[in-house]
Order: sequence, then structure tokens, then C-alpha cells
Amino acid sequence: MSIKDLSKEKKDAINLSRRSFMAGSVKTSLFMAFGASAIPSVLSAKEAIANKTFSPNVWFEMDTQGHVTVNIAKAEMGQHVGTALARILADELECEWDKVSIVHVDTDPKWGYMVTGGSWSVFQSYKPMSQAGAAGRQVLLNAGAKLLGEPVSNCEASAGFVVSGTKKISYGDIVSNGNIDKVYSADELESLAIKPGNKKHLIGLGNEYKALDIPPKTDGTAVYGIDVEVDNMLYARPILPPTRYGSKVTKVDDSQAKSLPGYKGYKVLTDPSGTIEGWVAVLASDYPTAIKAIDKVKVSYDAGKTVNVNEADIQKEGERICRDRSEGTLFVDEGKIRNAEKQAAETIEALYTTATASHFQLEPLNAVAEFKEGKWHIHTGNQWQGLTLPAVAKAAEVPDSDVIIHQYYLGGGFGRRLFGDWIVPALLTAKAAGQPVKMLFMRPDDTMFDQPRSASTSLFNAYFDESGNFTGLEHALAAGWPTLAMAPGFMPDGVDGKGKVDPFSASGADHWYTMQHHQARVINNKVAQETFTPGWLRSVGQGWIVWGLESFIDEVAHKANQSPVDFRLSMLDGKGKQAGKAPESVGGATRLAHTLKKLKDKTAGVALGENEGIGFSVTAGQERTMPAWLATAAHVHVDKNSGKITLKKLWVVADAGIIVHPDGAMAQMEGALLWGTSLALFEHNEIKDGYVAKKNLTTYQPLRMNDVPVMDIEYIESNEFPVGLGEPGVIGVAPAIGNAVYDAVGVRLRHLPMLSSDVKKALNA
Amino acid sequence: MITMIEFMLNGKKVQTDATSDTPLVWVIRDEFGLKGTKFGCGVAMCGVCTVHIDGNAIRSCSYPVSLVNGKKVNTIESLNGDHPLQSAWVEEQVPQCGYCQSGQIMQAATLLDSNPNPSDQDIANHMNGNYCRCMAYTRIKKAIKRAATSTVQHYDPNASSEGENA
Repeated sequence: MSIKDLSKEKKDAINLSRRSFMAGSVKTSLFMAFGASAIPSVLSAKEAIANKTFSPNVWFEMDTQGHVTVNIAKAEMGQHVGTALARILADELECEWDKVSIVHVDTDPKWGYMVTGGSWSVFQSYKPMSQAGAAGRQVLLNAGAKLLGEPVSNCEASAGFVVSGTKKISYGDIVSNGNIDKVYSADELESLAIKPGNKKHLIGLGNEYKALDIPPKTDGTAVYGIDVEVDNMLYARPILPPTRYGSKVTKVDDSQAKSLPGYKGYKVLTDPSGTIEGWVAVLASDYPTAIKAIDKVKVSYDAGKTVNVNEADIQKEGERICRDRSEGTLFVDEGKIRNAEKQAAETIEALYTTATASHFQLEPLNAVAEFKEGKWHIHTGNQWQGLTLPAVAKAAEVPDSDVIIHQYYLGGGFGRRLFGDWIVPALLTAKAAGQPVKMLFMRPDDTMFDQPRSASTSLFNAYFDESGNFTGLEHALAAGWPTLAMAPGFMPDGVDGKGKVDPFSASGADHWYTMQHHQARVINNKVAQETFTPGWLRSVGQGWIVWGLESFIDEVAHKANQSPVDFRLSMLDGKGKQAGKAPESVGGATRLAHTLKKLKDKTAGVALGENEGIGFSVTAGQERTMPAWLATAAHVHVDKNSGKITLKKLWVVADAGIIVHPDGAMAQMEGALLWGTSLALFEHNEIKDGYVAKKNLTTYQPLRMNDVPVMDIEYIESNEFPVGLGEPGVIGVAPAIGNAVYDAVGVRLRHLPMLSSDVKKALNA
Repeated sequence: MITMIEFMLNGKKVQTDATSDTPLVWVIRDEFGLKGTKFGCGVAMCGVCTVHIDGNAIRSCSYPVSLVNGKKVNTIESLNGDHPLQSAWVEEQVPQCGYCQSGQIMQAATLLDSNPNPSDQDIANHMNGNYCRCMAYTRIKKAIKRAATSTVQHYDPNASSEGENA
């Protein structure tokens, strides 16, 4: 599947309403779903449902009590996604919210392509969920009117009843009585208008409601992958090779382990899928024994070639390929950047870098693999079954249809649980053992097998004419590319046709500023790529790309003698390609400008003490095809002696269209801002001898409660199409902090994270 | 000879023949099937495995089972879902992924036992060792304050016959 297919799929998801919709009584329930893409027109709704000829994306049932069960083909990892999607549906269906429940479904070929990531869920599901609810309401209205003996035009649906004057009948009774069998064609469905944002009564700002998944997460009953047990299973812990790729096991000596009670031997894993190389798994009847056995099983290797790679090697390569204009491919090429360079009276250049960073999701990687009745059953929490399942099947040497991934709550996803590579060693161990296996990674194993955010390098050149006006931006950016490593089919061509682009290592460089000349060249850092599996870490490329961009824009503003805020506003005119498109980016850059103006007003009265400063950034979410418009400001204090940066306060003004789940949106933003802070000031895990150097929380030290700044988050009231919010809050924090440090003490920090030692060095320079 | 280790687990007397250096977390989770206590880092740095031992918040991943001999161990399950912190956690919509929350709640419970009216700084100091990767820290703080208020009004920890307050 190409990125074009991916974006087409996104569009198709939005436009699922081009499909038919069916509602049919099945046993005692009313079953409602979109038809599959090609539903044979001869089938009645009941037949189609019986044949499971329906779309996985929207599928729900109502029972004779009016209880609605909404099936969710999305992973729950803290975003309360099922609640948001069910709420969109319930708003149109006019059912009672306290009768709605959600079920997270397992993989099955009939669900098609399952992915939860990219902050896409609400964005993709908004229209189909709304239309499904509206169609369901219409079905119930028609059936209810008939039962009431009233014309439909005299009836309305409200809070789980069809009402006509003084007469009414509950949805549950309609389900009991009505022999419903109705198919809406795509055209009929399209004529059922969905309510505009300001007519929604269950979603949108002001609608405070609680997430359905929260109570079990407060009493220990929520079941995560790590909690799964199956009969007769062994426990396994992996022994990782000296490099991520290319190592070979030459000898295993487990003589020291044999005396451990419960030790069940080891397996050298051979992986037909090529996901892992040089792995050994240790088996035991209980996990603590597996933990201990690792120290007693001595494995010898032929190490892969990256065994001596260090972070500096990656950065050196990054700078080299950024400076060499023959490297990489163009992602943006507006105007004529070479002319801007030739005609420039002045140029400023800056090199921005970020360190490798780890996911450190708290639930360590784990999977239970069991071969039962001819199929592999995998128990684990996974974000991207559509990508994972074929790799797992390949490793097992079975067709995709013989693998089922059973879904659980995810103890943190953040992108680490997209491609489920950890399932492969679990399955291979179970296959070799001829017995079900629960493989659990100890924390250092998990960290070594992380798909970290790659170290990155960004080179900027800004050109100015004789009058000192800014004329163009040249941007070269390099990193290890997650999409190249894990889903290369999703990479589109560059605009110069010279090669492929990882959109998750490029988006953000295609910003919403109007510039006369603008070029962005993206380059894969092969040293990074060969050393580890670069990961999609919350906000992905935007996290490092826009850190550089929005810091450098500040540098350009200062060079042009303008206030950084006003300079940004002057370029956010919403003209030309920055005008936006319906439905996802109506208003374009003017909406971004609006958030920044609001933020400017809001922060106008902030009193700054000595060595304090305020910095700004604007960001537009994960992609131009789904922009969340955010203006971010940071208020910092810099201790000139120690170099310590104290983040006192963060502000965000966000326009994300209709806010489906306001409290959930707030929670996502709070978490994302602190992630942004943590990556800006605390988190770094440099590569040393082929692996990240810090294997556990003793040395890897993300933000903790004591470091939390005051946060002021404002969502703008909007009736525009809702966009995703899981990641965008991360992006603007680091540049806002960096710009605030410059405002406070006049030093420009060009490396993430911004450590006290770097501040001191810069102050003393 | 197998030495049996005997302790009170959520008010019930239990015995295990796990080797003496086995971290308590595995005994609780895998032997006694109480999965509410989680495993995170294995080095007492994240707090998801926090349980109460004789009323103190302890990291069960780094606590050898032999040391609980004769002691009272209480896990998230002992709170029965009706601890004021648990309702406060729902009211404030604290959990995101939820993985750390058993540990957060068990850690917070010992704060309220000793300090029924904690300040923001008291809370941060007491909770700083409990890591939340979703970074729901502001809500954790709010929920503890909410529970502190309700503790005074509705909850007498000494009235409970089980749990860390026994």
C-alpha cells in the first residue's frame, strides 16, 4: 500500500457514507452496519448481516432494553477512543448515553485494515459514525412510527424514544416488535444530513462526560497484554544480540542454568520474516526463573557491523548529508531557492540536532503465543494489526488467515506498539517449544528492542535581500526513517522524483507560512537506519522537525528586526496553497494565525522577572491533510549559574474543529504538553556501541510530578471538521521553550534536550 | 526442604514455596493471580508495582518474598473499588492508559493515611517516584486533593478491617 493509498484510505474512511447502510433484526437484536465496499444488491440487510458482508469500521447492535453495544476496531491506549467514537454515534442515534457500551474487537480478516495511530481515529470516524447514527435513528423512527400508527412526519426521536405528541415507544420496544430489514443505498444515506457542530448535544465543547474505560483502570481490573495467561504455558525472556541487525549466535552454554529449579532450556530463534536476527529465548516454568536464567546462559555471537556505532557517528553522517545537496529528495520546492540564494545580500545558517529518545511505555513488551486448532492465537496489545499480522504470519510460515491477534488494553502505546515486532520472538519460541509461551521483556530488554525516535539533524539557511527582507528558507533534514524500516510501501515519491520520502520524517517541513522561496530536502540517515529500528514516537517527525523550524523562524525574525509573533503572523496569510481545503483544513493558515493572535493577547500582561523570558511557536498537527492549529507559549526562568531551565508555565490555544470529547481532549493535551516538555528538557538516550546507552529509569529520566509546569489550555469553539489531538500538543513545546530561553538570556539553544550543561556552555561562549 | 513463606494477602492468610529471593510482584501476580499490581521497570524506579506491606508503600518488584513472612500485604484489589481515591480518580478522569494507576493509588493512599490534608508540594514529594508515561500528573494531584477532602468527611481508615489500614 502506498502513501497515496493510505491517504485515500483516510479519505475513504471519511467518506464511508458512499457505502450502503443496513439495519436488520437478528435474533432479538437490531444489528446496524455499513455495507462492505461491494455489497451485492440482491442481499437483504438480514442476509448481508448473516454473511458478515459489512464494514468493520462502524458496527453496532441494540437489544430489547435499548442497550447499544458499539464495536470498536481501535486500540485503547489512554485516549478513550471508544468513548469518543460511541459518543459521535449516540449523538445522531438519539439513544440514551447511559445505555451505551463499547467492545474492542480482535483481528479478523473481516475487519480489514486495523491501525490506531497518527491521531487519526476521531478524524477518520467522525463522518461514518455520524451517518451510521443518523441512519439508525431513521430506521427506528420509521419502525416506531408504524408501531405508533402515526405518520413518520409526526414523530421525532429523542433520548431513546420515538415520540408523537403524547404517544411514545422506546427504542427497546421497537427492537422487540419490529421485524426490521432495511438497506439504505449510498445515495439515500447521503441525503440524511448529519447535524452541524452547533446542533450536536452529546459532543463538542461544554459536553462534559466520563470515559467508559476509566473505572476498570482505577481498581486493577483492566486487562492488559501482560495479564494474559493460557493453560500449559511456559514463560520466556529473550536474550538480545549485540546489535539490532546482523548478529549470529555461534554458541550457547546453559550448563550454569540447568541447576535452577523451573529452568526449561533455551531456544535459538530462526526467523523466516527477518524481523529478528541472533535471538535466544530462555524458557522456565515461572518468570522469575527466566529472569535469573538469563545471567547463567552464556551466548557467543558473530556481532553485526553496527556493534561500535555511537551517537556521534549518526550526527556526523547527519551533518554530512544535510550539507551535501546531492543527497536525499525534495519534499517541498516552492519558488526558486537557488535564485534566493544567489540574490541574497545576507544569509543566516543554523544546524539543529536532537538526541535519540526512547518510548519507555510503562508496560514492557510482551505477548502470549499459542497454536490452537490450526491457528496461531496471539494475546497482546497492538496498535497496527494490519501491519503486524502479515509479519507474524510470515514468521510462523502460515497464511495471514491463520493468525488471530487478541486485543487488550495497551499499557502505553505512543507509537511503540504500532508494528508488533515483539510478537515474532514470542511466536517462534512457542513454535520451537511446541507449547504456549508468554514472552515478557524485562525493562532493559524492552529498551534495547525499542524503536527509538532517531537522532536528527536539520540544516537551515535563510536568505535576505538588500533591504533586509526575508526572501527564502532552505531546509535540509535527516534522520533514521521509521516508515522505511517498518512500512516502506507507505512512502510517496519526492517532488523532484529523485526518491521516496518517509512522510513521518518530513511532515512539518511543509509548514503553513507563505514564503516566496521555500525548499525542504529530506535525507535518510543510513548510519541510524542500519543501527536500530527508528520508531514512530508520539508526534513522530514533527517533534524534531518543527523544533528546528520554529526555533529558526525566531532567529529569522530577530535578524529581520521583527517581533517573533508579528513576524509569524505576517507569514500566516492563508494565501495560495496555505488557504486550506474542505473539510479538513477550512480556513488554512488564517486559523493558525487566529490561535496565535489569541495567545498573544492572553500573554500580553505576563510579568517577567530577571532571567525570565517568554517564547512562542505555531504548529499544525501531524500532517497538512489533518491540521490541528496550535499556538504554544512557554514562560521560563534560566539560572545563569547552574544553567538550569525552569519551565514555569505553558499556554496553548488550539483550534481542532469540533471537540468531540472535551475532557478527553484536555487530557490528551495535558499529556502531550508534558511529553513535549520532557523531550525538550529531560529525555535523551544516545546510541553507544550499537544500542541506546540507558536501559532503565535509573539513567533515563523523563519528567516527573515535581517538574510539571502550570498549564493553560484553551480550545477554540468551532464547528469545523474534527481533527486528531493525541500527538499535536507535543510539537510546539520544545521550540517555545528554546525561544523563551533566548528571550530570557539571549542564548540560542540548537540541541534537544536542552540540558543545563548546554545552557552554561552557551552562556559562557 | 522447602521453606514455606506465610503472609496475609488482602486479609487472607496465604503460603508460598517461591524461592526466597523471588520478587514479591511475581508471587502476587502469577501465583495468586492478582493482576492489578503491575510490573514496569524491575528496579523500584517507576512505582507501578506499589503495594502496601504493613501499611507502607513498597515496590514489590524489588522486595524479596522472604521478607513478607508474617506481614500484611495489601494490593489494589484490597481497596474493593470503594476507596475515596478510587472515586476521586474517576471524578477527575485521571487514567489514560491506566497502567500505572494501581501503583499511583496505592502510593497516594499512604500519603492520606499520614497526612489527611496534603499541600501540592506534599503531594509532589510523596508521588514523585511514581512515573506516569501518559503524564497525567496534574490530574493525579487534583484527585488526591479531592480524596483528601472526602476522607475527612466520609472515610475512616481505621474502620476498615482489611487493607493497609487494618
